[in-house]
Amino acid sequence: MLNTDRRWLFLIIGVVCIIPFLIRIGMPVFPTQEVESIYDYMDQLGPDNAIFIAFDFDPGTSAENMPMAVAVMRHAFARDVPVFMTAVTPLGQGMIMAGVDYVTDPSQDYFYQRVEWDEWASIREQGTTDKAGIVEAWEAQGHQLSDNALGWVFEGRDYAILGYQPLFYLVILGMGNSIATQYPNDANGNPVTEMPMLREHKNLREIDLAVTSSGSAACTYWITYGREKVGLPVAFAVTAVMATDYFIYIQSGQVIGQMGGLRGAAEYEVMLEQTGEYPTTDKAFQGMDVQSVAHVAIFLFVLVGNIAFFAGGFHKKGSRLKGGR
Amino acid sequence: MKRSVPLAIVMVGGILMIIQYFIPHQYSQAVFDTYTEWGPIVAVFALVLGIGSLIRVHSHKIRRRAKNWQYSYAVLIPLFAMPIFGLILPTAVAGGTDSPSVFDFLFMNVQVPIQATMFSLLAFYIASAAFRAFRAKSALATVLLIAAVIVMLGQVPIGELLGSWFPKIGQWILRYPNAAAKRAIALGVGFGILATQLKIIFGVERNWLGGAGE
Repeated sequence: MLNTDRRWLFLIIGVVCIIPFLIRIGMPVFPTQEVESIYDYMDQLGPDNAIFIAFDFDPGTSAENMPMAVAVMRHAFARDVPVFMTAVTPLGQGMIMAGVDYVTDPSQDYFYQRVEWDEWASIREQGTTDKAGIVEAWEAQGHQLSDNALGWVFEGRDYAILGYQPLFYLVILGMGNSIATQYPNDANGNPVTEMPMLREHKNLREIDLAVTSSGSAACTYWITYGREKVGLPVAFAVTAVMATDYFIYIQSGQVIGQMGGLRGAAEYEVMLEQTGEYPTTDKAFQGMDVQSVAHVAIFLFVLVGNIAFFAGGFHKKGSRLKGGR
Repeated sequence: MKRSVPLAIVMVGGILMIIQYFIPHQYSQAVFDTYTEWGPIVAVFALVLGIGSLIRVHSHKIRRRAKNWQYSYAVLIPLFAMPIFGLILPTAVAGGTDSPSVFDFLFMNVQVPIQATMFSLLAFYIASAAFRAFRAKSALATVLLIAAVIVMLGQVPIGELLGSWFPKIGQWILRYPNAAAKRAIALGVGFGILATQLKIIFGVERNWLGGAGE
């Protein structure tokens, strides 16, 4: 049995990962303290506050990191909290675009209807900068919210895609004094200094939270250069493999909380649904069925492998498996 | 000169930036602002060097018909294609870099799935390793396996259904024994980084000079 061709193992894992996508189980997900901390902190923010969501990940880890970033973005939009979005790598900028496109995609069951910078220029020229006033003026121009839209999000008022800059630790340090000097224009070429959200929150000292969705150690830049330098509150949204490394920052109080992997995103989605901030759960919650079955499969592999190992007497000195293992 | 000038630049720049970090004065901030303006420009030169080196290595492989030379085309063709579609061709023809455009299509439908797929292969290798390599050959290995199984099942909903103690014990392992060990490692790594950086700034460590360091 120990000489089983590993292609059978690959096939078993492939099958157990595909079946839960076809047969939804919907096992309950219970939030943990680390994720609840982030949720409770976000829940007390409002239109007068602002947050950063750092898309510090590449497409390789997007399956874990994107649901976390999307969940926080939806929470912010539901509470009218302005969101600045940055990326530590050029590929991360593509991830920002993909995330915003996903949250504002009209083909989703529920979405936020996006209004780009140029589209509401006439309202800005009238001097209207508060969200309620902008929405009223926009709807007075004849624009209507779609049936499955949860609300309007205006570029420069509700979100700003700042994007990627090289040597990102320098950018964080620079933003401690002024965001506009690091990003004179956003990723779409719009002047950042003219954005109402930047006029109200000029530097990191005036930002209320930075959530870094990261697939690398870049998340620690926000602690070193943000939290420790200007007192910026930081929350981590990291891959499951990395999550074990950063419990030390939670214990020391350097981060307010941590989402770890797809499970962290699923917990956040469940809390959004339970509190009514978003009508349904999404991909992370659906993915937990797959993770459950896959974890059980791996546990059985470990168990069967060890039983075969000990039953075959291979644990005794002098005995060897085929191939010298 | 080849050695002493770079060493002097690193020493003066490094000491200056250390001092600047702790001085909250406007002149200190002006130094920092100038540095942050220069830093990305210097970084872009490194990008130029990197791309030049990549092109040279792979075109050399193609010319010499070295082993697996065909894969060098897979490196060079996208390397030129993406900037051509995104920056050189007119927006009216290729759409620029924003959606919808050829650049965005290639990024979202080729690069993203390829990178996600490469990462997803790990799941299959972990499954294979779980069966073939994870053995309770000693007491410590047994403890490691038991802890791994508890944490693994505690992280997924089925663990909660199998027993409410699974996630509780798993969380305890992550928050206390794991955090204690990680903190020790992080402290050691932090002191190591500090020592190495000071050695580089003061010229004791010169490996970064490459051949000029000898």
